[in-house]
Amino acid sequence: MKHVMYASAAALALTAGMAHAEGELKFAPGEGAFSWDSFEALKSMDLSGEKVSILGPWLGPDKELIESVVHYFEDATGADVEYSGSDSFEQQIVIDSEAGSPPNIAIFPQPGLAADLASKGLLAPLPAETADWVRDNYAAGQSWVDLGTYAGADGTEALYGFFYKVDVKSLVWYVPENFEDAGYEVPQTMEELKALTEQIAADGEVPWCIGLGSGGATGWPATDWVEDMMLRINTPEDYDAWTRNELPFDDPKVVAAIEEFGAFARNDAYVSGGAGAVATTDFRDSPQGLFASPPQCYMHRQASFIPTFFPEGTEVGVDADFFYFPAYAEKDLGKPVLGAGTVWGITSDSKGAQAFMEFLKSPIAHEIWMAQKGFLTPHKGVNTEVYTDPTVAKMNDILLNADTFRFDGSDLMPGAIGTGVFWTGMVDYAGGKDAGEVAASIQSTWDSIK
Amino acid sequence: MEMAGTKSRLTWAVNLAVGFLVLLWIIPTFGLLISSFRDRDAISTSGWWTALSASEQNVIVRADVPDNAVQEGQVWVVSGNVFDSGAGDVTAFGITSRAPEAFAPGEVAVHANGHEITVGANGDYRIAYAEQPSGSRGQRLFVRAESPPSFTLDNYREVLFAEGMGKALLNTLTVTIPATIIPILVAAFAAYALAWMEMPGRALLIAGIVGLLVVPLQVAFIPLLKLHNNIGIGKGYIGIWLAHTGFGLPLAVFLLRNYMAGLPGEIIESARVDGASDFAIFRKIILPLSFPALASFAIFQFLWVWNDLLVAKVFLGTGEDQVVMTGRIVDLLGSRGGDWEILAASAFVSIAVPIAVFFSLQRYLVRGLLAGSVKGG
Repeated sequence: MKHVMYASAAALALTAGMAHAEGELKFAPGEGAFSWDSFEALKSMDLSGEKVSILGPWLGPDKELIESVVHYFEDATGADVEYSGSDSFEQQIVIDSEAGSPPNIAIFPQPGLAADLASKGLLAPLPAETADWVRDNYAAGQSWVDLGTYAGADGTEALYGFFYKVDVKSLVWYVPENFEDAGYEVPQTMEELKALTEQIAADGEVPWCIGLGSGGATGWPATDWVEDMMLRINTPEDYDAWTRNELPFDDPKVVAAIEEFGAFARNDAYVSGGAGAVATTDFRDSPQGLFASPPQCYMHRQASFIPTFFPEGTEVGVDADFFYFPAYAEKDLGKPVLGAGTVWGITSDSKGAQAFMEFLKSPIAHEIWMAQKGFLTPHKGVNTEVYTDPTVAKMNDILLNADTFRFDGSDLMPGAIGTGVFWTGMVDYAGGKDAGEVAASIQSTWDSIK
Repeated sequence: MEMAGTKSRLTWAVNLAVGFLVLLWIIPTFGLLISSFRDRDAISTSGWWTALSASEQNVIVRADVPDNAVQEGQVWVVSGNVFDSGAGDVTAFGITSRAPEAFAPGEVAVHANGHEITVGANGDYRIAYAEQPSGSRGQRLFVRAESPPSFTLDNYREVLFAEGMGKALLNTLTVTIPATIIPILVAAFAAYALAWMEMPGRALLIAGIVGLLVVPLQVAFIPLLKLHNNIGIGKGYIGIWLAHTGFGLPLAVFLLRNYMAGLPGEIIESARVDGASDFAIFRKIILPLSFPALASFAIFQFLWVWNDLLVAKVFLGTGEDQVVMTGRIVDLLGSRGGDWEILAASAFVSIAVPIAVFFSLQRYLVRGLLAGSVKGG
């Protein structure tokens, strides 16, 4: 009798333990199209008692998503991972690492900041084989290696940053039913897009919603427009040279790109609220015009995250959809795609931190987030069947069909430019200042910080 | 008589001006209060001043999906009501985005695909198909309707019952109470010494402390945190108490010294003559007399520490047991900070405790602030 009781108590404890573990894991191991073998492989690492702290920019729902991924690492290795998000990540990581109490791992939204910390010796280089791994396993691997390679405190270059989670920026959002009602077609080329813009305006409607407002970061949506336009009228080499200032900011090629943006944003008939409203409308509010009755605009160019700010209940793929911000047919520059991504770096080296970076290479770390929402990855080893959201799969297609992929240029420029005068310059430009003048003043700031 | 008349007219002018200023100050707060009861879509599409009265609005409603059509004689019908609540007043409707107000309620609109759509004044709609329809995408109905003011308590619910909010409130209290008491204790001693104890260089010391008032605290973050890490405090409550104490001290010493210097010297001298030590004078005479100044500084310090986010982010860790309320609220705002309604609601939630403190101590505030500016006797 006693034995039976012990046995059932043990069984109870066992099932309770299992229930607990499964409660934490979003998808039960062994089920679905996930690469569970990569999850099982993680179990060879025993990290019981090891603590890993991660600081990143994700809050709210994004925080829950990253935590759902982290749980698998904890479950497999026994490590204790603590993720914390901060809305002022950029400042906090600098204060923490300079003062000597950094987290183990930091998630940088901009490679520029990671490069800054690396040059001060505050980042630990990743193991030498990581660069080869990225080259082999990421689509366009070399470009990801280049983006994560910085000069350290002693000037030697090494891989410090690992990219995980990518965003596509070259998207135009629209309401398919409004297009149907009006008889508009999704444009395939930039010429068609311009013709459509003219046609909508000629029909007495407003083609675009553009908003640059973003508190202290006001102006950034315009930098994305200009970068996209750079890739559509100039070669990728010009683009790279521009981000390094080898092509000066006031070069006619750059000024032309700014004016291409102005062709949309500075025409009163093309923008909801008139050109004067562009700089003052908050970017989070600007897509609302798509869903008004009657529609206040028909198109909105913004990155893949924007559905967060669509009205409640909007279903992407039905109520709203997107198309690729097209390239000029006549220019023979292929299909360029502008994107961004988060760079993970080790700010305080430990066994746990190394193991976690290793975990990020495993397909399962990508698949768990892919199966939920809003996650794009260049990892070639993942099973894309886990995408439950067809729109995300469509975005990944845009990424994979890209002839050229370029990283958000303002994130690559020094902070004083990319997160400073480039933003404010674009606000000035949207407000009516001459493109050449704006470009020249940005260039003069760049000269002054060299 | 004439003098009195002038005076009352002047009083009137002053009263009106004050009333106007108060109104000017209250309007934004009032707007925030109204916004805190509205949902996000309402906030981003219309101003708070439109929320108080019924307004005519164009809305888009998706009818039930064609798959759910039921056969009625010759036709297949999808029906329902465009209003969530089932009641409302439709003044016009349409079936395309180009003509959202093309039809009066009750009229029959014929869709390009042949089905007939009608919306009644009470919001009931009926879509009749000639053949059995299929599809999982409902017809869009464009409705112009009189909508009553609508408010929601969801924002408050989300803020108050968010995960970890109770713990965060406790953490905030853990930070705030010691960070208010410690600087008062230290500053009271210092203020007495600077006001009533003769020592060389006293004036310079006072000038130095006043000078510290203009140093922005941001410049001290990195060196201070470095110091904490080096002496082994690291990130934690002790660190933040020390930081808040340091940041609050210049103002506290300055305020209390001015007040204490204004106390009548005769009392202190006679106490000295009677053989009282400095400590006895401080404890038995100065401290009770300085209560208004202490209370007014306590309010300042309490409010500042309570509302602080920056210092807490720097000196506290990021674990569940160290996140303060302001930090938790920022979490609720999401990665891109667009959730206005949460911000509005949380402003009123987090304001509750400071308001209670303010009203319980406010009678000391004015007295304490004036003290020191006018030499009392």
